Amino acid sequence: MTEFEPRIVAFLCNWCAYRGADLAGTSRFHYPQNVRVIRLMCSGSIDPVYVLKALLDGADGVLIGGCHLGNCHYQDGNYKAMRRVEALKTILHQVGIDEERVWLRWIDASEGGLFSETIQQMVDELQAKGPNPMRKPWQVWQETVGCQPLGIKSKPNKRR
Amino acid sequence: MKVEAVLKAEEGDILGASRNFLAKLLAEGLVDYLLVPLEISHGRTLAQTLVKGPAHLDRANPFSPVMPVSSAAIVAQLTFDKSGKKLGAVLKPCEIRALVELVKLEQASLDNLIIIGTDCLGTYEVEDYAKLIDKMKGTAKKKGAQVLADMRQGIAEPDTKTLPLSLRPACKMCNAFTPLISDITLGLFGVGDGIFTSLDSELAEKLGLEVKEASGRQEAIAQLLDSRTQTREQVFAEFRGKMETIVDFADCLDTCIMCYACSSACPLCYCRVCFFRTDTFEPESERYYRWAEREGALRMPTEILLYHLTRLNHVAISCCGCGMCESACPRKLPLTTIFQTVGDGVQKALNYVPGRSLEEEIPLATIPEVKV
Repeated sequence: MTEFEPRIVAFLCNWCAYRGADLAGTSRFHYPQNVRVIRLMCSGSIDPVYVLKALLDGADGVLIGGCHLGNCHYQDGNYKAMRRVEALKTILHQVGIDEERVWLRWIDASEGGLFSETIQQMVDELQAKGPNPMRKPWQVWQETVGCQPLGIKSKPNKRR
Repeated sequence: MKVEAVLKAEEGDILGASRNFLAKLLAEGLVDYLLVPLEISHGRTLAQTLVKGPAHLDRANPFSPVMPVSSAAIVAQLTFDKSGKKLGAVLKPCEIRALVELVKLEQASLDNLIIIGTDCLGTYEVEDYAKLIDKMKGTAKKKGAQVLADMRQGIAEPDTKTLPLSLRPACKMCNAFTPLISDITLGLFGVGDGIFTSLDSELAEKLGLEVKEASGRQEAIAQLLDSRTQTREQVFAEFRGKMETIVDFADCLDTCIMCYACSSACPLCYCRVCFFRTDTFEPESERYYRWAEREGALRMPTEILLYHLTRLNHVAISCCGCGMCESACPRKLPLTTIFQTVGDGVQKALNYVPGRSLEEEIPLATIPEVKV
């Protein structure tokens, strides 16, 4: 059986995390191919709606990468990201979505190694967790209705 | 300095006393305009009204038992451009909390605004109340007075025999029913046959009020707080116990029709054009077919969970628990429970109480102090 391959959406800030990923590539560091990178100007500009959209559309994990605290290119964007992600995770936890699928990490432009390690670590943990239930959205809705599609309740067979 | 006084009600006529008081505010020129609920439709319902002429106040009811809209949004509409008009706004505690949040979000202004905060005994759904008034015909006034007298002593709700009407879900679990921030407080709890007021000493002098400490108020408030907190904790525990996976959350929302009524009714959803009404998440039709092909089936409309989760993200931290979302919902989704429970979690995590003080900043708008 092939092992479950998690899909990760990574929102990386242009100045640090994205450059870190770039450096990982140019330095020939190996990291798993499960990550799809979206470049942002700043981790502070991430609107939680896109993290939610990724999770609800079946991404197994979301990584938000920014500059280390105190290093933000726009002074305090990463602090804003921190607050927002904190609020988002609290909400996710309370509505039954595994908040550990969202990672916020600080990765510097010079830390190509750290980037590849982070992705490896994330893939390992997500593999242990298994796929995001929202990968099969119709099943989620169907289970809530508790019946077959079209709203017809299945009746137990009465053969005798 | 704030002082306490009691407005005497002749023969227990609370409404008359409050109307006289409001008329005095207008007559003395302390306010130019008053925003206050007025009885309309032969007393079947009430509507927020901007009053200039004191004659209209004979239908005013500052302790309105219904709340068709949250006045916080109306006050924002009347104050955001700082017109300089002296406005007196009669607001319920939850409306004041929402207004405070709107001020912090720079959607409203407190300049030249006099907040007349009232104690809230709870409100009914508009349609339920109108139906009951129709049914009771002439006896409504007498019955109302009796119910009022009971509830003023701190009883959460009269039994269904006395009144076949149930408070809105939000009101049933409201634990902040007295105004926290107000210039003038009109209080009902505990006081025998009058209205408790708390206001600036100069103002009291101008209005010729006799300063007098009210007794029994704190006891009645404590009694109601006890029973409401119990209900609240019960609702929270029930919801939290249920939410194990995303399926359970989707379960609460599976009849949503994406009408956006909740966001229109929410005083804190202040965006002119909601993100979800733009075509951000409305791609060309080709994509829907592709998704349906991939999944085998695609629920339409597609973004129900995303919509509610995003609204939670935007509003939960400031949610004041007015419950207008649930009252507006045509499917009666348990939105108050969701927003209050999740809101409570977020507010505790970020150490914030919405509407408590004007100085406290909304955590998402501030930079936390973290040692690097």
